[in-house]
Amino acid sequence: MRTQVQNEARRQGLRLWITSGPGLFWIVLFLLIPSAVLLGIGFFSADDYGSPILPVTLQPFQQVAGYSLLGWDDGNIIIFLRSLAQAGIATAVTALLSYPLVFFIMTRPAALRPLLLLFIVLPSWTNQVVRTYAWLELLGPNAPVSWLAHALHIVPPDLGIAPGTFAVTTGLAYNYLPYMMVPLYASAEKLDWTLVEAGRDLYASGLRLFWHTVFPQTLPGLLSGVIFVAIPAFGDYVVPQLLGGDRALMIGSLIANQFTETPDWPYGAALTIIMLVFTGAGLVAFRVLTRKLGGAGEATI
Amino acid sequence: MSNVVPRRVRAVLAGISWPVYVLLYTPLALVAFYSFAPEPNGVGHSLHAYNVLFHDGDVFVALQRSLILALGSATVSTMLGTLLGYGLCRFRNANARGFLANIPSLVIYTPIIMPSLVFGISELIFFNFVHRTTGLLGAGLDTMVIAHITFQVPYVALTVFARLAGLDPNLFEASNDLYADGVKSFFYLIVPVVQPAIIGGFMLGITLSIDDFTISFFTAGPGSVTLPIYIYSAIARKGISPEINALGTLMIGTIILFAVVHFLITKGREGADEYSA
Repeated sequence: MRTQVQNEARRQGLRLWITSGPGLFWIVLFLLIPSAVLLGIGFFSADDYGSPILPVTLQPFQQVAGYSLLGWDDGNIIIFLRSLAQAGIATAVTALLSYPLVFFIMTRPAALRPLLLLFIVLPSWTNQVVRTYAWLELLGPNAPVSWLAHALHIVPPDLGIAPGTFAVTTGLAYNYLPYMMVPLYASAEKLDWTLVEAGRDLYASGLRLFWHTVFPQTLPGLLSGVIFVAIPAFGDYVVPQLLGGDRALMIGSLIANQFTETPDWPYGAALTIIMLVFTGAGLVAFRVLTRKLGGAGEATI
Repeated sequence: MSNVVPRRVRAVLAGISWPVYVLLYTPLALVAFYSFAPEPNGVGHSLHAYNVLFHDGDVFVALQRSLILALGSATVSTMLGTLLGYGLCRFRNANARGFLANIPSLVIYTPIIMPSLVFGISELIFFNFVHRTTGLLGAGLDTMVIAHITFQVPYVALTVFARLAGLDPNLFEASNDLYADGVKSFFYLIVPVVQPAIIGGFMLGITLSIDDFTISFFTAGPGSVTLPIYIYSAIARKGISPEINALGTLMIGTIILFAVVHFLITKGREGADEYSA
């Protein structure tokens, strides 16, 4: 009897490996091992061509902190803070836009809702380069919006709103709006409206009603949305590259430069490690927060 | 349910939302508008840029590569992802706890969580190293296909897994009782039942592949320029030209056309889970 149970368990394990093995192996071989190698490179020295060589050192991290042959420089810290601020503002903008949009769609006739949601998500199905450079047409030096900015003396003449910090924020919010919308819509669909009615019967109204009945119920969706927006926005490459210029350099471009234009792989790898530490810390913080607030019970693997 | 929302609030919601809809499409509309730029030294509108575009052989080669990349990677990732989702749903010991039992989940979520820049650079270094030591996998369309498969597999697996997890477990019992072995039950029960999820996963894979730039950019070689890379380097070299706008217009138009057709076909099914950003 016992051996039969064991045999069955073994067969079950074998089936698991036959079906799941290839996919898992693929991801391990082509992503986990390469990223482990990348992180490892952060602890090597660089040769004249920027390739990693022995000895093992922490010098790349000193470079990240801003120390170089020329002394200390605050450039990297500013870039880090700028990236955090850009990601934070873009996330806040998407959240502030998503709430009215979600409830606007929810209060439309049922037949219209899928279409309205589709039109929010649709731009994200085009290529990221296309939908990002499209903003150059709207915010570039020769665009009407920039003439307005010139007239109001917000932007010096001959320059556009893009490239610049504001253009990057706009581009990030535009790119990642659907990532906030979809989880928020999913949690709003499950909203228990009787709670809202109960709140109204207790003479709560306006913002108070929203804050005490709607907001807590949509919080799991909001928190998922924050993760889906903030993490890719923090490390985004295309948007700051196309809409940022030198004045709005973000961590993504700084890392990419160490592997393309001015190769210094160990330095780039050390920057990546720091970026992943920030990302991971944010992720863990939000997971703890979601759990504490009784997060969404979605079907998870 | 939604009649709880007072009329005044609805008016505010609409007042915020319609401008956002307009704003979402303004940049895309401008791309289309500027694509009808006049001929050099001309005025008004013309199809000049489209004419130039259609006589540019590089664009067609890039388009061909983009299609091979999207279809090829989505096909492989659908096969790997379907098996992965199926295996994890059916054969994983649900009572197992601890780190080892969580490894599959960790592996599956890594490509989703990892910023695409880190993803792309990891692949760049890895392929570079493999190429230098073995002579295999030089940067090109092969390496791009491999990278695209890697980021699509988890999404297909999750789609298939979600569908299977929502099924009645009695179905599997019934198929066992009818003496179907594993392979038979996979092809005669699972594949038909999960077919919508498999097709959905395949479409999702294509969408992800078309949307991606960063990972493609770092895994591409000199001879594997795809449409997004073509546009990016054209803008970096000489700024936006009417030809680039024409190309962008065609790409946006194709996506909108596909989305509308898809919507008309699947009309009636409602819910946020239909869409993936």
